[in-house]
Amino acid sequence: MLTTVKTKLRSWEFILFVLVVVMLLVAAALVPGFTRPFSISTGLATFAPAALMALPLALLVIVRDIDISVASIAGLSSVAAGLAIRAELSVPMVVVAALVTGLLCGAINGFFVAVLGLPALLVTLGTLALFRGLCYVLLGGTPISPLPDFFTVLGNDNIPGLSIPWAIVPFVVLAVVFGIVLHRGKVGRRIYAIGGNPETARYSGVRVARIRFVLFLVSGVMAGLAGMINMGITSQVAPDGAQGLELDVITVVFLAGVSVLGGKGRITGVVLASILILSLRKSLQLMNVSGYTQGIAVGGVLIASLLVTNLSQRLLGSVRERRRPVPTLGVEAG
Amino acid sequence: MKRSIPLALGAAALLTFSLAGCAADAGSTTSEAAGSASADCTDGPIKIGLIPKLGTDPYMVTVQKAVEAAAAKDGSTVIYTSPSDATGAAQIPFVNQLISQDVDVIAISGSDLNSASAALAKAKEAGIKVIAWDSDVATDSRAFFLNQADTSKIGDQMLASLADMIGSEGDFAILSSTQTAVNQNAWIESIKDKLANDSKYSKMKLVTVAYGEEKADVNAQKAKELVQAYPDLKGIIVPAGIGLPAASEALSQSGDLGRVKISGLGPVSLVSQYIETGNVQDVWWNVTNLGTLTFATAQQYAQCKIEPKAGTKYSVDGLGEFTVGDNGTVLLGEPTIVTPENMKDFSF
Repeated sequence: MLTTVKTKLRSWEFILFVLVVVMLLVAAALVPGFTRPFSISTGLATFAPAALMALPLALLVIVRDIDISVASIAGLSSVAAGLAIRAELSVPMVVVAALVTGLLCGAINGFFVAVLGLPALLVTLGTLALFRGLCYVLLGGTPISPLPDFFTVLGNDNIPGLSIPWAIVPFVVLAVVFGIVLHRGKVGRRIYAIGGNPETARYSGVRVARIRFVLFLVSGVMAGLAGMINMGITSQVAPDGAQGLELDVITVVFLAGVSVLGGKGRITGVVLASILILSLRKSLQLMNVSGYTQGIAVGGVLIASLLVTNLSQRLLGSVRERRRPVPTLGVEAG
Repeated sequence: MKRSIPLALGAAALLTFSLAGCAADAGSTTSEAAGSASADCTDGPIKIGLIPKLGTDPYMVTVQKAVEAAAAKDGSTVIYTSPSDATGAAQIPFVNQLISQDVDVIAISGSDLNSASAALAKAKEAGIKVIAWDSDVATDSRAFFLNQADTSKIGDQMLASLADMIGSEGDFAILSSTQTAVNQNAWIESIKDKLANDSKYSKMKLVTVAYGEEKADVNAQKAKELVQAYPDLKGIIVPAGIGLPAASEALSQSGDLGRVKISGLGPVSLVSQYIETGNVQDVWWNVTNLGTLTFATAQQYAQCKIEPKAGTKYSVDGLGEFTVGDNGTVLLGEPTIVTPENMKDFSF
């Protein structure tokens, strides 16, 4: 019992939880306006698209893949939605257009990575540029507005009577869904198995390629959803929609303790890391820190979290190594 | 059980965060309502939030300095914010910031027409007055728009100035800022319109429109590419403050400047050495005056001395009298073609 409590205290999620509490308390005490309902609701809404895209990205990184094209997929999905709006389709059809576009983009990534076996980082770097380019080609320079009320409400309004914006609701619901799938279900165990060792997983009967492909599809659809929220926030469909969001998305995932080496990471961590980055950005914003310096801060957090999670793994690994009676090579191979 | 503790902790954190929001909401609704009622008219010094397109753009910084100088006279407060991307979406957090900080006026140079409109509507709801300067936002998002120069006239002047340098004959290109830039697209439209309808320009041909993305290196690269892609190119119009000096310098280095003339729009001080040689002309106005006008309008509007109605007249210290035009637009004055002769009148 005592040992489980000890490991719990040493877990990255616990450290993150402490960091979140400290961050919120410090910000509430020192940053004027931080606890204002308006700041909280606008902060939550503005961060919702990035947080949403971090959920599937965490799963992809656990199976040793990555998708850095998510913000471009979000942009392209919103362009598809915009074209549907221009064609005067009904709101459900507009939503379908965005989600299907996200799905197709995910399928393209998945095909190259999971089916053809090309490296995920390079493939999605390519599609990052490709999908964004398509946004400009399809839409031209003129944004589409006004949008149907459904989207502006989704992006800008609070749930009546609360200072919680509609925009964050999909994240809250889906975080629970992702948590259950990853930590309670068969699929989750297979995802960890692939991340732990793809070869072993394959020989154990896990359909590695299929799961990786499906994860790219999920990432695409989630980016489509994020794209719709983002266009609601900006009240228009523009070719540069959601541009640059990938920095926050990727930072959340690695700050969450998802290992670059695969096989490690939890949805709780993603939720906590989202709160942390969101509070950091909002605090800096309210202290009138420029967008450039915010970039430095978030980029710094990304590097720092890579350092901390990897160094701690290496240190723990070398400690275990010394205790082991027979020395083995290649601590990091797993 | 083993896995549920961090999940529970996470959920608890999220819940606490949201509940704190609700509790604070219930507590402060009344004070906020009261705040917005009294914020409708301000006596004396004002608190103004200034949102540029990009925090570091020298043009924007010149306006900032002018606004700060004007504000210092009566002890008004200026909060100058710095978005790092020239997109409307990047301006949203800055609008929200200024709402949280209870400014009296938000003065924004819109990176695009609509992105910030929902946020600006929330500002209005909170009793904050919104004006636009330099680059407009959607008309119902703001009261006044302080326009540095008439859109069609800027386009015309840039075209006239290039025509003057190349003898109204030959191929030319446009090197604009971004594909969504509101001002630039309007100027390009007006240039195309002139080309099609004015016989003065019948021998001039627009071969392409390229985009420098508001970055000096991209502008330099694109300028060189244009010269290589179109060997008969006689001139380039660069209607953007970052692009004009970058393109001039790039073509000067490559030795093409002279054979290819450049006209455009940008701070005179950044291209003065090329204007002197006669290879570059610049359409410009007094930027400091735009800042002075912005502050004076914000102040008088916050103090309920003026309304954005066509025909309203008000005076600004040192600049004289201004009249509000249609849609709350106030024009700073006529744009001037800057040549070696009149160059010294423009300090920025």
